[in-house]
Amino acid sequence: MLRFMLVCLCLIFVAPVAHAQSLQSLLQDNADAVANPSRSTVDSIVSALAAAPVEGSPRFLEDWRDKAIWVRLSDGIFFSAAEDGDGLVLTDLDTGAQTTVAEDDGFDQIRPNAGVRRVINAALVQFQLSDADVTRRIAALDAISRDPAADQLVPLRQSIPGEPDASILARKVQLERQLTARFGDSMQERVAAINFLSGDLSVEVRGVISQILTTRQFVGISIPEGTNVAQIMEIGDDLDEAEAYQLLVDADLAPATVTPDDIVATLTAQIEDGQVAGVDVSTLGTDAARIAAYDMLVTRGDAAPFIAPEDRASALDAHTFYLAYTEVNVDITTAAEDAEAAIAMQLNVGKTLDLTLDALSLASIYFLAAIGLAITFGVMGVINMAHGEFIMMGAYTGYVVQQIVPDYTLSIIIALPMAFGVTFAAGVAMERLVIRHLYHRPLETLLATFGIAIVLQQLAKNIFGTQARPLTSPDWLAGAWVVNDVVQISTIRIAIFALALLFLCLILYILKRTRLGLEVRAVTQNPGMAASMGINPDRINMLTFGLGSGIAGIAGVAIGLYAKVTSEMGADYIVQSFMTVVVGGVGNVWGTLAGASLIGFTQKGIEFFNPSNTLAAQTYMILFVILFIQFRPKGIVALKGRAAGD
Amino acid sequence: MGDVTLKLSKNLLSTLSVTTLIAAGSGAAAQDCTIKVGVLHSLSGTMAISETTLADTMQMLVEGQNEAGGLLGCDLEAVVVDPASDWPLFAEKTRELLTVEEVDVIFGAWTSVSRKSALPVLEELNGLMFYPVQYEGEESSRNVFYTGAAPNQQAIPAVDYFLEELGVEQFALLGTDYVYPRTTNNILEAYLIEKGIAPENIFVNYTPFGQSDWATIVSDVVALGAGGNQVGVVSTINGDANVGFYKELAAAGVSADDIPVIAFSVGEEELSGFDTSELVGHLAAWNYFMSADTPENEAFIEQWHAYTGDEARVTNDPMEAHYIGFNMWVNAVTEAGSVEVDAVRAAMYGQEFPNLTGGTAVMLPNHHLAKPVLIGEITADGQFDIISQTSEVEGDAWTDFLPESAVLTSDWKDLGCGMYNTETETCVQLTSNY
Amino acid sequence: MRKSFIAQNPSVLWFLAGLAIFTLGVTFMSEAAGVDMISTSFLKTLGKTLCLCLVAIAMDVVWGYCGILSLGHFAFFGIGGYAIGMWLMYARTEGIVATSLDSAALPPTPQEITDAIGSQIFGVVGSSDFPALWAFSHSLPLQLLAVVLAPGLLALVFGWLAFRSRVTGVYLSILTQAMTLALSLYFFQNDTGLRGNNGLSGLQNIPGLEARGQAVVSLWFFWASALALGMGYVLFAYVVSGKFGSVIRAIRDNEARVRFLGYHVEHYKLFIFTLTAMVAGVAGALYYPQAGIINPAEIAPIASIYLAVWVAIGGRGRLYGAVIGAALVSLMSSWFTGGSAPNINLGFYEIKWTDWWLVLLGVSFVLVTLYFPKGVGGIFDALVRKTAVERQGDYGPDKGAWRNDEGKPS
Repeated sequence: MLRFMLVCLCLIFVAPVAHAQSLQSLLQDNADAVANPSRSTVDSIVSALAAAPVEGSPRFLEDWRDKAIWVRLSDGIFFSAAEDGDGLVLTDLDTGAQTTVAEDDGFDQIRPNAGVRRVINAALVQFQLSDADVTRRIAALDAISRDPAADQLVPLRQSIPGEPDASILARKVQLERQLTARFGDSMQERVAAINFLSGDLSVEVRGVISQILTTRQFVGISIPEGTNVAQIMEIGDDLDEAEAYQLLVDADLAPATVTPDDIVATLTAQIEDGQVAGVDVSTLGTDAARIAAYDMLVTRGDAAPFIAPEDRASALDAHTFYLAYTEVNVDITTAAEDAEAAIAMQLNVGKTLDLTLDALSLASIYFLAAIGLAITFGVMGVINMAHGEFIMMGAYTGYVVQQIVPDYTLSIIIALPMAFGVTFAAGVAMERLVIRHLYHRPLETLLATFGIAIVLQQLAKNIFGTQARPLTSPDWLAGAWVVNDVVQISTIRIAIFALALLFLCLILYILKRTRLGLEVRAVTQNPGMAASMGINPDRINMLTFGLGSGIAGIAGVAIGLYAKVTSEMGADYIVQSFMTVVVGGVGNVWGTLAGASLIGFTQKGIEFFNPSNTLAAQTYMILFVILFIQFRPKGIVALKGRAAGD
Repeated sequence: MGDVTLKLSKNLLSTLSVTTLIAAGSGAAAQDCTIKVGVLHSLSGTMAISETTLADTMQMLVEGQNEAGGLLGCDLEAVVVDPASDWPLFAEKTRELLTVEEVDVIFGAWTSVSRKSALPVLEELNGLMFYPVQYEGEESSRNVFYTGAAPNQQAIPAVDYFLEELGVEQFALLGTDYVYPRTTNNILEAYLIEKGIAPENIFVNYTPFGQSDWATIVSDVVALGAGGNQVGVVSTINGDANVGFYKELAAAGVSADDIPVIAFSVGEEELSGFDTSELVGHLAAWNYFMSADTPENEAFIEQWHAYTGDEARVTNDPMEAHYIGFNMWVNAVTEAGSVEVDAVRAAMYGQEFPNLTGGTAVMLPNHHLAKPVLIGEITADGQFDIISQTSEVEGDAWTDFLPESAVLTSDWKDLGCGMYNTETETCVQLTSNY
Repeated sequence: MRKSFIAQNPSVLWFLAGLAIFTLGVTFMSEAAGVDMISTSFLKTLGKTLCLCLVAIAMDVVWGYCGILSLGHFAFFGIGGYAIGMWLMYARTEGIVATSLDSAALPPTPQEITDAIGSQIFGVVGSSDFPALWAFSHSLPLQLLAVVLAPGLLALVFGWLAFRSRVTGVYLSILTQAMTLALSLYFFQNDTGLRGNNGLSGLQNIPGLEARGQAVVSLWFFWASALALGMGYVLFAYVVSGKFGSVIRAIRDNEARVRFLGYHVEHYKLFIFTLTAMVAGVAGALYYPQAGIINPAEIAPIASIYLAVWVAIGGRGRLYGAVIGAALVSLMSSWFTGGSAPNINLGFYEIKWTDWWLVLLGVSFVLVTLYFPKGVGGIFDALVRKTAVERQGDYGPDKGAWRNDEGKPS
């Protein structure tokens, strides 16, 4: 502990005394590199500062990194400066004296790019690891993890004993192990570190292990002594013949094969008077003729011969193709391989879990988008093509509220009931004015509501413009729930999941446990009978439709929070939502849940098999749904008895 | 999505055809003649948000030129038509501009597909169009001047920046599934492999327009870090989809220091729709940023604010492209003493005009510009901090990094061919690829 | 004692006569005739409108007569366009490639020609191999066959699956919409080999007719479109007349009863669905060479819905209604969105029709659905004093009972 303190003191106080050069003059020696920093030049300054430590150099590095260094164009003197309106407050780098200038015209701000900043951060590590400021210590650790280097190991180890903060201490120990695994001095030390890391799923650790296990491909007659062979490659299994032969050619171990391009080039070069090797050029319009002509050139000795298959085979047989580790020590690579195997097991579990979470999240989004439809379409049998536009209206309500109420948490709390209110009113109005006249003419309901959808979409465009509008989630919804580096899901998605669950319960409760639900079910099943029991079907239909629409509005806020708010966002969800309801089984909220899960999981499943093409996943998912409906027209959860649709 | 109701020509009666007349009225030009400038930008539909700005820019430039005394003693007149983000309409409107309105030059189009739609008509009727947007290259039409960036003026320098300055060794090329990202990523893949990046270290993904479900893709990108190398994302994601992408990235706790993202389709205009706090430090590559500190840029922004009457309006890269293109055309017409297409085209080669970001743009015989490439870091106020500016890079119609097009070159001045095979020394075709 | 087909359907003669007069008039006013009263670009618009009318009557037959609200017929239209577009692109590129390869030192092999065409067509989207879908693109007859067969086959398979499992009503509508969505997403993918979002372009340049000039070619296409519309009209008028037509209409009105009467309802529906899909394909094949470009956005679900809108506004269940609706709405919307319509200044707000046309369309669409189910075509009915059967009823299993009034609280 005491020794460590002494080292620190030395670093800070002793060094400047030993060297009298000022910071400014040192910078002027490298003026161009300071003013136009690039990753290729920054090292020179950092090492110059390290070689001749002057007072204030960590401070200068921080300012430089934070774009707070300006240069005076007239004489090239560097200042630490803060902007002050149009002017600047300049701080002399050596004396710390402050001056103020009114105009920043004669000055240029120096803007190091992210790569330079990273090097600066790495250089600052030694100064910051034991800094009293927690954020600086964390910054130093971040710098190490982004750019691990051998020379960080000693300062890091030295900083561990004096670390007061438990979580930072743990991070330091972890990083120390990672650095040791890669850059440790002795084999035992490194193997011990690797074993310590075994089973850790973090990206950092996987990076360390895979760096240790870096391989290169070689080919030769035999494998030289002392090579740490990772794998001997079998032709046919690991390499195909053409590839393998090309490796031989590249390594100058075999003559090149004659490609069709070579044939054309050779033939073209040998054309004389419209003939090649006595053959008319005009007849060379087929591959066979070209090969024949080329063969003649070969027999004349004017072209390189084809490689006979048996020559090729014997050349391949004579050589060994293998991958070798760049790390020469077998014990270390073995330990790393074991660690990798241990990680791989967990990694697969983790990936499956993560995919499941993503699928669940997607399913809950589809469910949320469709649940309003489950009521209007599923229970009432009304096709509402404007459902997507209700979602959009909800999202825009959220946006408008956020413009008025700047506090994000509060605005969300206000926006949710507001969105419900707005879309509830819109739904009721639509039911009263349009849909009521079209019960029993479902196809025409479809068309009329589509007309409304066009109107609403265009109105949104006219009012809010075509550009996407931001709907910002409050900070407590901004992060992610991180199990480890593989399994994580953003908080907003969890919130959507919770919201979906909440609505599921709420709707089940309303439909099954309340008077309103009873009346709704009665009116849907037999309006005439319900009416004679004293229920007012008109009122019930109106309320039910309003409820379904209102929920769409709330879904809109949620969807806007996780993605974007545009006038076309509703159209993105409408077809999917209808499919969700139809696949699940009309007339049943559980069915909608099943439908959303099926669609969500299917889509993620297809994406898993073809990760580079999300569009294909969507296409095949729809195709799957179409086929599914053909074979199970009533959906997953079919109603027994009288179905709602027919 | 195309809008079917917009499919038919609005040219119900050609007499009713829309024209926005911007006559100077000041009488600066004495003669009774007008030079018509066609403006072919969507004023409605999905692309309106980007293209309306350009239509305004053109009207501003035309107005400015008229105030400065017109051209060849004549007044300029902007003929604005609305192709309504509907691709077939671009062909129809181009024909209408050239045959019914008989314009002398067209400034227009944004998406590649709209340009490809207009191309055959331009070539058939020997029109002249200035195309202001960064695009995928692999094209050179006799009748189009490309004032936006070719891949080697945007994508390649951006990747160079990743390789040299940020030390990125593991690339994720994410794009929206259409021609510009596809071609750009193909070029970049070939380029990266040439630079020694192993093919397995390049992850490519395409998503549909308006993609919102980014969780899986972001976690795939984060997982690339498991190789122990610095990961970088090259994004050709278009439009709205960016919102969800950056949100998900921020939610996963990925900062620009961990995994930098360089975007080719995110500019000042797009940022005004984002919550930029999540984007700070991420990058974009363009030939122009509004934050460029030059007197020309200051004057241009001032003119723009005065014209729109809105101090909050931003300027962006395609606007600068139109600014350069229009001024070069004006100079070429003056030089040729005529607005006749072939004469103007001949006068265009070698035209020079100062960039708004400093330096001079030059029109090359391949109909592309030599322009500097800028890389900016997104700041919290929706602007860009310019952290890298190259000297002028010559636009290359045919990329050198794909084997089929490496042998091709374009030279309309001396070779008179836009698709010239340097190996066989023949002109592949005089019309362009569409 | 049946009257002849024409006597039963006097509207067919009227329609054909009108179409002929229109065609002749346009021809004499066209640029190709030297008069130049109708510009080539407007001529193309008129030709395209005729194609839209053709697909609209197909839609009318399947929806207005047979009661299947298909939200997928524009997909068939698009497939027809793609089918002809593939040949147009191939043949045009083949010409270019042949000239360029002629100057090579060695005569090209067939493989080299194919490769060169492939890299010309697909180079734009970063590929060069011919996908399997293009297997017949070299042959005009085969692609022409595909114009009819590809949509027909898709409709047959889809219809067979759907009708077999008795998917009806709105379920079928949603299913057809899903099919359209899947198809357009499929076409959007680059891997499909149809050039993704770029689609097929330059289709107005017909190989072999380059020397003719667009003025003449456009006129030919206009004639072809008029001919196709006339033939389509007669075909459908024939199909929906007579006993077959009665069965079709009966299916629309009460499918179950027709089934109980012993008719194979599925066969009838499948026939109509497939036939209309084929006609839609033909309309598309004529449309896109006039438009010049086809891309997947053309077959997005919204396009098919607009098709239904045209038919609804024009008037369902009467062929001329569909023609009127398609021509009227599509020409009007291009007039409004094109900016030709004068803006209305309300003092505090200026109504720009580019922004407000869709609102107007949507509202009028709702109104037509609610109050004028017969659409614009209904005006003709009023003229010839044709009255429809009065519909009544609401609520409950027995339509026609006066439960509507009973249900109201007193």
